[in-house]
Amino acid sequence: MQNAKDSFYMALRTRLATINPERTVLLRGAVRPGILVEEAEAPFSQLPNDVFILRWQGLGVDMDLCATMAAEECEIVYQTCGTQSFGGLDRGRALSEMDEELIAMLSPFYTPKLNYADTPPAAMLTQVFWDEPALTPIAVQRDLLSRSAKMMVYSYQEQGE
Amino acid sequence: MAANWFSAPAPVTRRVRGYFAPVNRAAQTPMLFDPSQQGRFPLDAPPAPWISLGWTQAFTRKSASKMSPVLTGIPAAALEQVRETLEAQVNVQFLSWTKLTMALATGSQHMNVLAPASGAIAAAMGAQATSAVTLQSGSTASSILLATADAAKFTAGSIVALDVDYTGQTGFVGSPVSGAYVRQALTDVDYIRRVTFNVGLVSAVTSTGLTLAEPLIGGVPAAGAKLQAVIGFVDREGGCFCQEWSALFLMEGSQGERIFYFYPRLQSMAGAEEKIAPLDGKNQNGQSRVQLMGQFTALPVTDPLDGERVVCYRSFLPAANALV
Repeated sequence: MQNAKDSFYMALRTRLATINPERTVLLRGAVRPGILVEEAEAPFSQLPNDVFILRWQGLGVDMDLCATMAAEECEIVYQTCGTQSFGGLDRGRALSEMDEELIAMLSPFYTPKLNYADTPPAAMLTQVFWDEPALTPIAVQRDLLSRSAKMMVYSYQEQGE
Repeated sequence: MAANWFSAPAPVTRRVRGYFAPVNRAAQTPMLFDPSQQGRFPLDAPPAPWISLGWTQAFTRKSASKMSPVLTGIPAAALEQVRETLEAQVNVQFLSWTKLTMALATGSQHMNVLAPASGAIAAAMGAQATSAVTLQSGSTASSILLATADAAKFTAGSIVALDVDYTGQTGFVGSPVSGAYVRQALTDVDYIRRVTFNVGLVSAVTSTGLTLAEPLIGGVPAAGAKLQAVIGFVDREGGCFCQEWSALFLMEGSQGERIFYFYPRLQSMAGAEEKIAPLDGKNQNGQSRVQLMGQFTALPVTDPLDGERVVCYRSFLPAANALV
């Protein structure tokens, strides 16, 4: 299942770099596309703004099939205060921009599964796929606007996994 | 050594794509779909002349063929079965209103409402139209060459219909897509442009002609074709013409596998009908989407491979590396 999680994250990261190359984050001394996996970073005392944060939550499996199917629930959280140059008055626009980037990142709704434990990553045999996101209403905390989207990410277990 | 195959469960799909292609009604020749050569086409770029109608909804197909046992002996027991009737039906809801989806979802001719001439007498199918303009030679399916004075009559955003004048012929009319069957000679010189599928949206106008947003269904305009402005579409409950198209429905699975349903001949089997679908759970009595409902019966073709009469081909292209 880790391969599916890695493949999903890397697909979104690659797509985001194309959709909006300017959305980046400085993490551990490296500038990367502005999307990260919460469980793969040091714990945050406060979530970073203007970055997509992936959280893995629920897990279900269907073992009655000829290949076990795993369904992993992913929540993508993002928040913004807008930009300093506009005094934060553009925070609604900034959140809309992230909404659009998220929708664009998720399409198409599949990606090849790769094993990122190998270097270079090894192509596996199946594809990871997911459904449409369920987006929450905007949460307002003073000048901070945030939203999250949840989706199920599906994959088939391959031999050796 | 790691296995280089996997055992694939049943395909998981999200939606069904629909593609249609015209049947040559006069020659009774449907369009072919060859899964061996055309099965891996990009979803948004089907092989010519298939036309993508995008995603569809509520696709259902039903075999209405009947098998009957041949009974022998006392007491009688089935010796074998014979196919008594061959029939299949397809239902689908279209998620857009276009010339083609409207035509497919009506059981009769589908007409273009031509821009009316000044002072014309009212008519349910559209009044007498403004005069057609003649195309210049060299026009293509998406670039229509006109005299400068004629081009100036149109603006970007106009809808236009292109086809030849009606000159009293009977039988199927409209080229290469038959839009109607004329049983007795008519008097309307614009009749073929009223039923033609060569309809397009003008995206740009220059002094030399029009550029269309999408190529014409019929391809390069026929010699002698003329052009008229269209303001909308109309169809009727009644009439004796049945739309007939070749149809291809595609389900793409999560692992890249593809299921095709190829119906060489699909005819509309019901009058125009819509489904009113609420936009979401909060809008049960408010905003609703009006979806065209296509209801078809499949007609048989004779497969040249073995002479069998069939109405549908189901093809399955497995996912890469999947056990079969």
